[in-house]
Amino acid sequence: MTRIIASRFAQAVPVMFLVAVLTFFLMHLLPGDPAVIIAGDQASPEAIERVRRQLGLDRPVLEQLLLWIFHLLQGDFGTSLILNQSVVSAVAERLPITLSLALVSFVITIPVGIALGVTAACFRDTWFDAGVMAVALVGVSLPNFWVAILSVILFSVTLGWLPSAGYVPIDRGLWPWLAALIQPAVVLALFQIGFLARMTRSEMLEVLDQDYIRTARAKGVTEWQTVAKHAFRNTLVSVITVSGYILSLLIGGSVIVEQVFALPGIGRLLVQAIMARDYPLVQGTMLLLGFAFVFINVMIDLIYTAVDPRVRYD
Amino acid sequence: MTDAAIEGTAAQALPARRRFVLARRLFRHRSFRIGFAIVALLVLAAVLAPVITSVEPTAMQIRYRFRPPSWQFPFGTDMFGRDVFTRVLYGARLSLWIGFTASLLAAIGGALLGLTAAYYKPLDSLLMRFNDALLAFPAILLAIGINAALGPQIQSVIIALAAAYVPRTARIVRASGLVIRELDYIDAARVSGAGAGRIIFRHMLPNCLAPLLVSLTFIFAYAILAEAALSFLGIGPPPPAPSWGNIVSEGRDYSVEAWWIMLFPGLGISLAALGMNLLGDGLRDVLDPRLKIES
Amino acid sequence: MERHKMLRRATLRRALAAAFAGAFLAAAVPAALEAAPKKGGTLVYANTSGPGTLDPQVSASMVDLEVVHHMYEGLVTIDETYATKPLLASSIDVAPDGKTFTFKLRKGVKFHSGQELTSADVKATFERYAKVSPNASALAEVESYETPDPYTFVVKLKTTNSVFVDVLKTPVYPFVILPADQKDKPARGIDAVGTGPYKLGEWMKDSHLVINRFDGYVADERKGPDGFAGARTAYLDSIRYNFVPEANARIAALQTGEADFAALIPPDLMKRLESSPDIEVSTVFPYCQQYFIVHSQQAPTDNPLIRQAIRNVVAVDEIIAVTGGGARRNHSMVYPDGEYYGGKVTEGRYDNNDPEKAKALLKEAGYKGEKIVLQSNTSYGYMRDAVLVLAEQMKAAGMNVDVDIVDWTTNASNMQKGTGGWNVSTTGFCSNPLLGPQQWKTMIYNFPHVKDDKVLDDAFAKFFASLDLKDRKDAWLTIEQRVLDQAYMIKVSDRGAVKAYNKAKFGGVRPYYMTNFWDVYRK
Repeated sequence: MTRIIASRFAQAVPVMFLVAVLTFFLMHLLPGDPAVIIAGDQASPEAIERVRRQLGLDRPVLEQLLLWIFHLLQGDFGTSLILNQSVVSAVAERLPITLSLALVSFVITIPVGIALGVTAACFRDTWFDAGVMAVALVGVSLPNFWVAILSVILFSVTLGWLPSAGYVPIDRGLWPWLAALIQPAVVLALFQIGFLARMTRSEMLEVLDQDYIRTARAKGVTEWQTVAKHAFRNTLVSVITVSGYILSLLIGGSVIVEQVFALPGIGRLLVQAIMARDYPLVQGTMLLLGFAFVFINVMIDLIYTAVDPRVRYD
Repeated sequence: MTDAAIEGTAAQALPARRRFVLARRLFRHRSFRIGFAIVALLVLAAVLAPVITSVEPTAMQIRYRFRPPSWQFPFGTDMFGRDVFTRVLYGARLSLWIGFTASLLAAIGGALLGLTAAYYKPLDSLLMRFNDALLAFPAILLAIGINAALGPQIQSVIIALAAAYVPRTARIVRASGLVIRELDYIDAARVSGAGAGRIIFRHMLPNCLAPLLVSLTFIFAYAILAEAALSFLGIGPPPPAPSWGNIVSEGRDYSVEAWWIMLFPGLGISLAALGMNLLGDGLRDVLDPRLKIES
Repeated sequence: MERHKMLRRATLRRALAAAFAGAFLAAAVPAALEAAPKKGGTLVYANTSGPGTLDPQVSASMVDLEVVHHMYEGLVTIDETYATKPLLASSIDVAPDGKTFTFKLRKGVKFHSGQELTSADVKATFERYAKVSPNASALAEVESYETPDPYTFVVKLKTTNSVFVDVLKTPVYPFVILPADQKDKPARGIDAVGTGPYKLGEWMKDSHLVINRFDGYVADERKGPDGFAGARTAYLDSIRYNFVPEANARIAALQTGEADFAALIPPDLMKRLESSPDIEVSTVFPYCQQYFIVHSQQAPTDNPLIRQAIRNVVAVDEIIAVTGGGARRNHSMVYPDGEYYGGKVTEGRYDNNDPEKAKALLKEAGYKGEKIVLQSNTSYGYMRDAVLVLAEQMKAAGMNVDVDIVDWTTNASNMQKGTGGWNVSTTGFCSNPLLGPQQWKTMIYNFPHVKDDKVLDDAFAKFFASLDLKDRKDAWLTIEQRVLDQAYMIKVSDRGAVKAYNKAKFGGVRPYYMTNFWDVYRK
């Protein structure tokens, strides 16, 4: 078991390296100059040159890449040009927000998505099934910022039930924290729920058709037990597999949601950093994100192996 | 593998009758019918845009700004006094075109990557590591980065979206390819002197077509939504050319005052995604319900 | 006889005393009835984004400066009418040759750290400014600084600069005083310590920034508040700046009470707030001026005739209608109530709206349909929208127009450096029109990339050398007419700042182009 874990992590290292290098070159392809943003758009050309020199931006690209990797190996992820703080601390400050959003969204998505999928499968081809699937379909078809803006107008401005923007740290109270996160989490979850519901339903259908289910029914095991014990467990396996994917959707989708709801999370940090050409911040954050995703994927693979012993690995 | 896969390979040799049967089965599937109808309608509207409306999408009539929907302006006017109906029609052209091209490129790129990985065992590890590296980026962040790198043009949006979805199709193709590769008749073909290219394109590819096609439809839906997201962030297709995404984006500050600007293109995006998702469901159910596609 | 006189004097004195007492009471009673503002309360301000830095010497953007000017003070500053007023300086003496400037400092002014402000701090500040600030060229002609005693600071220039003190009032890259121990800190690396009425509290870069009242603040004794000058009182305990990028969200925050003050409301959305009786919406003038910048070194706009053709198609009313009801017509590069306003003299190059004349100019220039690139950005709605309208106006005159919308970083960078292949772009200038020609100089040469224009060079030389306002005004009028004639810049409009706040909760809000909260109190 430990060998598998170790080998998976070892395989992840070259991937990480590729992620890092790819990000670096991607950033340096961008036109536009961070020195101008920092010096101010009304600064003289000499002033801008001075800033470029201060930040080491006037050195050849390859030299900058090697310097960056050198620092990385020492555990130094770099310092943000615009924020004037280390990349690690910038990400660490914003991690709780994105994680809170992802957590609340995840907690909403999983039970609702699974419940919808399972019940739709059980009542297959009825109006209920069609209805649930229609809802799921709509969920994966709506542009999320559209929904977000409409939601704010309805729930914040018109009804006044929920705050319209901003993040409330949990030490100010559980309900204020949650209230600020409900709208963004639900908007994010819409797509995820639709996706999960559809997938769960098709998984369940496949399992329900299997021979061993028919055998169980023939043996007289009640419908509920059949569903719960056999069908459900297999579905769970796929859910776990797909969780990683859902998490990555959450990080990606959170970029939009964080913008609309003014949540200072990693998604927004990254977009702003890309726009401002804050090279060290983008590179460092992408790298950290990449690490996180690889780690999550490895974890999920391992859980998958543990839960379903029929799976073998190359 | 399953009947459908073998059917697929056999489809090469069989007469058109087999494909006709396939088509009939597709159209009997309710989801497919609805999806097809929606998509066909949208495509038709897009193609016939210059016929349906005689107005230029970029023509400004400042004195008519923010008019609500009326007989003269079926979808109202925007902040420049431009006719939203015309813009939505022309926007359909751009958005559907972006969705189609991006998903096609993603499919082709993914197929190349996946088949190569599946066939050439030593390359498999390397290519899949590269693939995982790309997969580690959430699609939208990769799209933002590539788009910013290539500059604000329509091509950048297409390339960015294609690149973001290539890893996903590559995975699907590779999975199918790997299974085919192990089949006996592949060995037989190789023994009888068939070259790599022949094996890949005549035997492996047709079996991947089914899952590839299904994933293509879902990626199309993603691409339409992603284009809207990119426009929202300000890095979609550049103005003044209309795309659904950038019409919604332009209209978002006026969601209360001029709700029509956001509503109609938003409906367009949703309908296109919906239609494609239904199409994909239908394709998947007919070609092989057991295909584990990330829908 | 003496006693009689003394008695009369005593009576007179008592009468006078009684009269004074009576007058005093009469004045005091109404004052007592009108309750004095109390200290206390927090104001929440929703803005689009937060400061990039609180190092004033590298601060140019409005979001930086709004906070900076609560925390720091300078020798001189801008008053209500944007004229120069002393703040930390108790008096200023300008030598007749216009080369030596002596500033006497107020005594007992404290930094947030508790130490007293002396001339050593002022000298250290100026020396750091010359090293670190993008505006360091303002100090290029300095020969030496002298600090003969802790409350006197002397600047000696190599050449005459009649408006040196006006240069020092700049709110952009301000000359506010930092403690001497910050002298060797790199740009953006200082400890945010100043002498202003508020000091830095909590700052979370993407989310919010809080400034707290500085209880040791020593206010100026001169009449105030007068813009940034005069006696200023900090009533509010703290001010919290929330960074909310979406206009919808800012307005929603105001409506729900999550924010008390909101900035940058698109004028078309002001109607939403009409139904809230507690919210006061106002447009502050002046704020910024919008111009089209034309690249004088990039073909085909390197040809003055083509630039003039572009100027002639501009129909300002259409652009104003689209970029926001907060904009007004004004042909000039300064404001009508400023001392450098030229009135009718500088008219005639504004809102020409003459496509026929444009076509004639194009023909004269030998225009053969070369592409003219209009560049703008997605971050500032009014900039993008102005360019889109201009594109249509230019097309109507037969010009071959290409619109290039990039992000602000690229746009700003391109305008600065002249790269990117743009011919026309647009931006707003806020402090330059307010503060006068000395503030305009860099921008006029820089963005349109003006080279070898002897008329401009001579006029600016005359401006800085003239000790008499009338001569300086003459020089400026030459400059202004030249810039507009040559269409290096094309004036679009004067923009106002739309601000909305909760007037039921807060009083004492004064309209000013840069939002500030001293003398604002919680009701």
